[in-house]
Amino acid sequence: MSAPDATPKRASHRLAETAHQNDSARVKAGMRAFISDFGPTAAIFMEACVHCGQCAEACQFYVETGDPRYTPIHKIEPFKQAYEREAGPFALLFRALGLAPRVTLEELNQWQDLLYDSCNMCGRCSLICPMGIDIADLVEKARHGMFEAGLVPPDYLGAIAEKERSTGSPFEITQEHFRQTLLEIGKKYGVEMHVDEEKADVVPTVSSIDIKMFPASMAAMARVLNHIGVSWSFRTDGFDADNVSLVAGDRKGQRAVTEAIVAAAIHCKAKTLIMPECGHSYTEMRWEAANSVGKRLPFRVLHISEYLAECISDGSLKVNRVSQSCTFNDPCQISRRSGASAAPRAVLSALGADLREMPDGGDMNWCCGGGGGVALIGRAQALRDKAFQIKMRQVEATGADTVYVSCSGCRQTLEHGGKKFQWNKTVGSLLELVSDNLATIERVLP
Amino acid sequence: MPERMLGEELALHKISRRKLLKFATAMAASLALHPSMAAAIAENLAKARRQSVIWISGQECTGCLETITRSASPTLESLIFDFISLDYQSVLMAAAGEAADRTLREAAAANKGNYLLAIDGSLSIKDGGVYSMTGGRSDLQILREFAGNAKAILAIGTCAAYGGIPKAAPNPTGAAGIEDVIGDKPIVNIPGCPPIPEVLTGVLVNFLSFGRLPDLDEQKRPLAYFGTTIHDQCYRRPFYDQGKFAKSFDDEGARQGWCLFELGCKGPITQNACASLKWNGGTSFPIQSGHGCLGCAEPDFWDKGSFYTSLAGGQGPGWKDIAIASGAGLAAGTAAAIAARRSRSAIDQSIEHERKTKSGTET
Amino acid sequence: MTLLDFARGPALYWSVLILIGGLVWRLSGVLFLPFQRNLATPRGGGIEPVYGAISTIFSRMLPHREFWHRTAVGGMLGYAFHIGLLVIVVGGAAHVAVIKSATGLSWTPLPKGIIALVSGMTFTVLIIVLIRRLMHPVLRLLSNFDDYASLVLTIFPVLTGILLAGETFGSFGLLLAIHILSVTALMIWLPFGKLAHTVFVFFGRGALGANFARKGAAK
Repeated sequence: MSAPDATPKRASHRLAETAHQNDSARVKAGMRAFISDFGPTAAIFMEACVHCGQCAEACQFYVETGDPRYTPIHKIEPFKQAYEREAGPFALLFRALGLAPRVTLEELNQWQDLLYDSCNMCGRCSLICPMGIDIADLVEKARHGMFEAGLVPPDYLGAIAEKERSTGSPFEITQEHFRQTLLEIGKKYGVEMHVDEEKADVVPTVSSIDIKMFPASMAAMARVLNHIGVSWSFRTDGFDADNVSLVAGDRKGQRAVTEAIVAAAIHCKAKTLIMPECGHSYTEMRWEAANSVGKRLPFRVLHISEYLAECISDGSLKVNRVSQSCTFNDPCQISRRSGASAAPRAVLSALGADLREMPDGGDMNWCCGGGGGVALIGRAQALRDKAFQIKMRQVEATGADTVYVSCSGCRQTLEHGGKKFQWNKTVGSLLELVSDNLATIERVLP
Repeated sequence: MPERMLGEELALHKISRRKLLKFATAMAASLALHPSMAAAIAENLAKARRQSVIWISGQECTGCLETITRSASPTLESLIFDFISLDYQSVLMAAAGEAADRTLREAAAANKGNYLLAIDGSLSIKDGGVYSMTGGRSDLQILREFAGNAKAILAIGTCAAYGGIPKAAPNPTGAAGIEDVIGDKPIVNIPGCPPIPEVLTGVLVNFLSFGRLPDLDEQKRPLAYFGTTIHDQCYRRPFYDQGKFAKSFDDEGARQGWCLFELGCKGPITQNACASLKWNGGTSFPIQSGHGCLGCAEPDFWDKGSFYTSLAGGQGPGWKDIAIASGAGLAAGTAAAIAARRSRSAIDQSIEHERKTKSGTET
Repeated sequence: MTLLDFARGPALYWSVLILIGGLVWRLSGVLFLPFQRNLATPRGGGIEPVYGAISTIFSRMLPHREFWHRTAVGGMLGYAFHIGLLVIVVGGAAHVAVIKSATGLSWTPLPKGIIALVSGMTFTVLIIVLIRRLMHPVLRLLSNFDDYASLVLTIFPVLTGILLAGETFGSFGLLLAIHILSVTALMIWLPFGKLAHTVFVFFGRGALGANFARKGAAK
């Protein structure tokens, strides 16, 4: 699906909130997207809310600002309004009695910062709700309508989502460019790279943030896979797992990125697809990809931390012990939303690290504030900074000087936040920690 | 008829003045009047002339007459009753046929403007009242003819007061209470099925003593007798307050005399003096005998559902009705879901179509 | 027909039918929406989602420990009046009599004094809940007509029940009629507003529990 070596196209006018589309067309497009998301589960969730307000108490944005507008269930109000008007059991009755007003573009506009700037889709609210409403899931759905109405924040979430859709990569990195980058990284870090092989049991993917900011993590991935000794290969026709489209609400782009990765993995008959240190990319491939492409995936999808834990467990990955005290910042999408919080702990345990758990950590961890696309919204910086205060307090409470992460979103957020607030903590990648501490294995060659 | 004063009549029967005073004191209490009124009552009774009472009947069972005239032994009350001049009463009088009719017209003419008109039984209004006729005329006609010259009207029994049993659904004869027909005369409702005889006595004594009817409530009932509910005077009230209820007519609670609320007693919403005055000269009343109050002194008591459904319950729907309502709900919900599915699949199809035709191109 | 006759008769009859019919309508309208099969490989497959659904119905009764100090007030107030209402409805002698006449089931009611205490507590808590909803910034923002109407329609049966049980003023018949009518009003409103959570709480927790069990995620 990615255009080979194409010159980057200009961002679509739909993302730029211009007047090129008239209001009624935009609202209509938004409503279409809303309606296509109304299934029994979403409906049950919207019917069940009793306005108890407890969800606010779980949300980092409300807790640190005290602004009631950041109450999670309040964020999906237009989505719920559309449901009651268009698909609810009493839709006809409410419409006839004038009790279900149309959603206007003005209203969607007012909700833009609630659905994007102030929500990481981290899912804490989904855990606190006494009615069992998965609010984070509803936000993800509501973003579909916002996107179609041209209301994804253009600077710069909207812009890079558009690039991803039209070029296959949010930073317009072409296949050829990626291939060259990988080979250069291989040379620079002295690690054997496998790229675009016809057959590979394991296909790793990367996050665009890694390509831009943490190239060493790609070297680490290669080094670790070489150590484990499986047949593996990067695929330049399906590498960028970031799926910014997902967090932007662009289902077309979301599907396009996913289809490319699935096709690439199927092409080389992969048994395992590895998702990089990233949050929503795992959520997409692990839980939504099969539905996006319309069929069960013929390969396993594992987060890199899960794969590392698995290989440590079966003995194919051996690590040296590091006597280091640290804490671990669980990525929301991997731990809480996917149930994979044991894996990084198994890895840290194998490394002999003295892990000091954060208060309110693990599955209940507070989001660092950067996830779900919020880090990609320029104007949300101040809000993110407020949310970040919680993270700093959590880490302080452990007394550890080093925080390990398994998501480059967290990594970037913690590093930037650390610089801004003169925080003297070291932030490290779990993958890189493993890669830096591989033990020698005596391998009997076949 | 010799025009003796009541006091003279009593003396002839060897009823002393002292006894009259005692009676007057009892009546003052019964009428909820101040004890100081006893002397006035005694004085006025002694000087009273025999009051003409004309008693006509509508659709009645004669129970009201039975209760009032049936007494185990002559009582002072019955003597008082004897000293009204019951100038017309179709059951008690000896005359019949045209002679009876004549008696009625003559008595009314002779006491024009002064007689009390007592009525038991309900009026049939439908079809000109053909369902209740006496001597070729409807009782409705008879009432209208004689109400005009009466001093006041006594509606005796629930039927006369409110329509009673003949008015029960579907009310084929168009039964109605007196007050539905007569609007321009003072009316006293003395409801009950039948009413307590002492209540009639009290009304008459009041009328004889003071020349007017006793204080009435908004349903035209004597306040003194109908001012409280059975519940308020019931001797089983402590059991109600403690939550001790008989669950069936022969369980331990029933044997212990516990409250009959759960067996359908309508005491809390029925105003009458049964719980205090009781029946048969204060012998007993329905609750004391172990059966809940039927509410027989209240309008439409026959049409308020089962006597055995407690006031806490009502006429909720049966399982069949609930099944039908569920079916209707299911149909409405399914219809709504189908409508939602239609609009969603139309949208899904158009999105899919767009995806296929616009793949690889912008918007 | 007196007010009491109306309350015990047509009002009671139609409100029960509207309650049941309305809830069936709402539930079927929701459950028959197009369901999308989930093709992702579950972490907890087979019958796990069923266990997840059922267990979450119970586990969500208590929030996660990390949420306790921020949800204590709201949570305790909510439990106080819910439990209070349950005790009154299930333990009050008159209510036991109603249930018996409707279904044949009966049990020993609680003493009148206990019900009186619980009613007083429940009423007080409901008033506090109402005031809190008017004053707390989050609740004030979220609350709409449905929230206030539902609260008022819940308060009235408790209040009129207290007045009736204490035989406080007016006639027994009038107090009883008003109490029954306040309950019928609640029943008529229930399927159409947030009070339908009496049903949806099970489906919401169940749906989340099933989905999260599929993912092996924390519930």
